[in-house]
Amino acid sequence: MTLSYVLMQNLRRNPLRTALTGVAFALPMAIFVLAISTVVMLTKTAARIEQQLRLAVHHKAGITAFMPEGMRRKIEDLDPNRQRLLAVCAMRWFGGRIPDTPNPLMSLACDVDTFPTVYQDVPMTAAEVEQWQHERRAAVVGDGAANQYGWTPGSRVVLDSTIPPYQRLEFIVVKIIPNASPPNAFYLRRDYLLESLQARGLTGTGCNIFWVKCRSAAALRTLQKDIDALFANSPDETRSEDENAFIAGFIEALGDIPGLARVMATVVVFIIALVAGNTMMMSFRERIRELAVFKAIGFPSSRVFLIVLSESLLLALFGSLVGIALGVGFLLVPWHNPHSESISAPEVSWIAVLGSLAIGLTVGLVAGLWPAYQAVRLRTTDALRQVV
Amino acid sequence: MSAADIELVDVRKVYRKGRNAISALDGLSLHVASGSFVVIMGPSGSGKSTLLHLVGGLDAPTAGTVRVGDAQLEQMSERGLTAWRSRHVGFIFQMYYLVPVLTAAQNIELPLLLFHMTGKERRQRVRTALDVVGLSDRMDHRPSQLSGGEEQRVAIARAIVTDPDVILADEPTGDLDARTSEEILSLLSLLHAQYGKTIVMVTHDPRGAAHGQRVVHLDKGILDRDVQNEAHATTAAAPK
Ligand SMILES: Nc1ncnc2c1ncn2[C@@H]1O[C@H](COP(=O)(O)OP(=O)(O)OP(=O)(O)O)[C@@H](O)[C@H]1O
Ligand SMILES: [Mg+2]
Repeated sequence: MTLSYVLMQNLRRNPLRTALTGVAFALPMAIFVLAISTVVMLTKTAARIEQQLRLAVHHKAGITAFMPEGMRRKIEDLDPNRQRLLAVCAMRWFGGRIPDTPNPLMSLACDVDTFPTVYQDVPMTAAEVEQWQHERRAAVVGDGAANQYGWTPGSRVVLDSTIPPYQRLEFIVVKIIPNASPPNAFYLRRDYLLESLQARGLTGTGCNIFWVKCRSAAALRTLQKDIDALFANSPDETRSEDENAFIAGFIEALGDIPGLARVMATVVVFIIALVAGNTMMMSFRERIRELAVFKAIGFPSSRVFLIVLSESLLLALFGSLVGIALGVGFLLVPWHNPHSESISAPEVSWIAVLGSLAIGLTVGLVAGLWPAYQAVRLRTTDALRQVV
Repeated sequence: MSAADIELVDVRKVYRKGRNAISALDGLSLHVASGSFVVIMGPSGSGKSTLLHLVGGLDAPTAGTVRVGDAQLEQMSERGLTAWRSRHVGFIFQMYYLVPVLTAAQNIELPLLLFHMTGKERRQRVRTALDVVGLSDRMDHRPSQLSGGEEQRVAIARAIVTDPDVILADEPTGDLDARTSEEILSLLSLLHAQYGKTIVMVTHDPRGAAHGQRVVHLDKGILDRDVQNEAHATTAAAPK
């Protein structure tokens, strides 16, 4: 027999009370894990959408129709102080494929100056941006294609265009996009494409899409209207689209969720502390004489302190673990998620798990401290005198 | 097998409650020989429990000295007293105070958790103590499954498992019927006669007094009468 065995047995003294106190720990902890995990998920989604707050402006006739490249300037002039938009990147389909293979790449020629800003979700280092700007043949490629064809930064790549005039161009890979979407994305420089077309006596300034990087979901919505209004009744009527606008707006509308979660957590912790503290004090009072006998037998005050404190900690540990298991279990069930494309799947946040455990144990500690202190102060002789 | 003598010299114990001072012991001097069985009697509030608590180092005297064997208790720190108590004193109370969630054997083992001992050695000690109190067949029962007399025997086993020099019993039969009381008293007599323990027992029961070699009567915190129990003294002395 060890002292820890005695402690465990003590929890069985009043099984109903132990169970109820355990539940008092477990339920808030489960909710806590769920809430924090959701906050983390929303924060991640918000951050990702923030990076992607882009409008795709294309011709009303469809994505294959060309628009004059001067429209970029007109869009930029809608917001000269750059309060709503960050940058505009014009794009033209290249339609490249590996020579002698049928599979095309999702290849787009982009404006060299604004591409890194508009595509903040492609995390480029300063050195990579530098290479992109100084190497005319630079290409930023998706990891799917890179893995398939064995490309690494510095690789020389030759692509054939599937669009007239079907020219063959050579590129240098400067960056591989991790977790690229689509995996076979291939971004090249539009000025490079333009030069090669002009060398053949062609103009090729037409663009298929203007990507407009916006500062916020609200800015995105007004720009969407303004841009389409700007080109209404012109030969180049546009349609501006954004798939993330709805979700971004939703998250913005939710406001300060992390702050709210913190307030909630504080209240919850306070309530469990009261419940647990009360239980610990009750269980201590019931056992005053028994603890006095421990002291009479020769248990030092420090041991008696630990006995009372550990009981509270054990209860807190059990309750918290059960609660965390419930919360994690709930998160791991593969619930159907209609927004699975846009909102990150809810995942177990280790911050939430460790945080809950830490909070649970802290509450257990605080709840046990007072009775434990009372146990140390307990005068054995007085406790023994009060006959039941 | 070990025992110690007890010596109190001019012991006073005053409890202060606000302005009132209650004198529980008022200049008590007493010597208890090593290996003797002394019974303390006296009216309620006469200071009997206080005396036991002082001898057991649970409380410090307001004045005077308390010596148990080599230990001068009034000079020891609380921490020192606690450690000393775990080795030299066994307590028995009227209400037994067993841990309800532990079995008889586990309750008896409790004081041994304070000793550096192998599990095997501990179990051996517990088995011996159970044999002495005659409860070997109930070792796995919890207190709620035992009768009052059996609970008190477990408490006695818990008090002797550390092989203390002194056993202090505060009304050990106060909650038991006459027949069971007699069994418990016989058990204490056995501990004294066979194992040579120094036993100080507080009781209100005249039949309990018959088991002591000596009966000390307290009244209002002072020694009232100190009677040698002749019949007992001769029978106890006979085997030696
Ligand atoms: N902590 C305390 N504070 C104040 N007075 C106390 C305290 N402890 C004991 N007393 C008083 O000291 C006196 C002696 O108490 P003690 O418990 O030693 O008596 P007792 O002889 O054991 O009585 P009983 O036979 O009822 O157990 C009593 O008057 C009691 O009220
Ligand atoms: Mg008393």
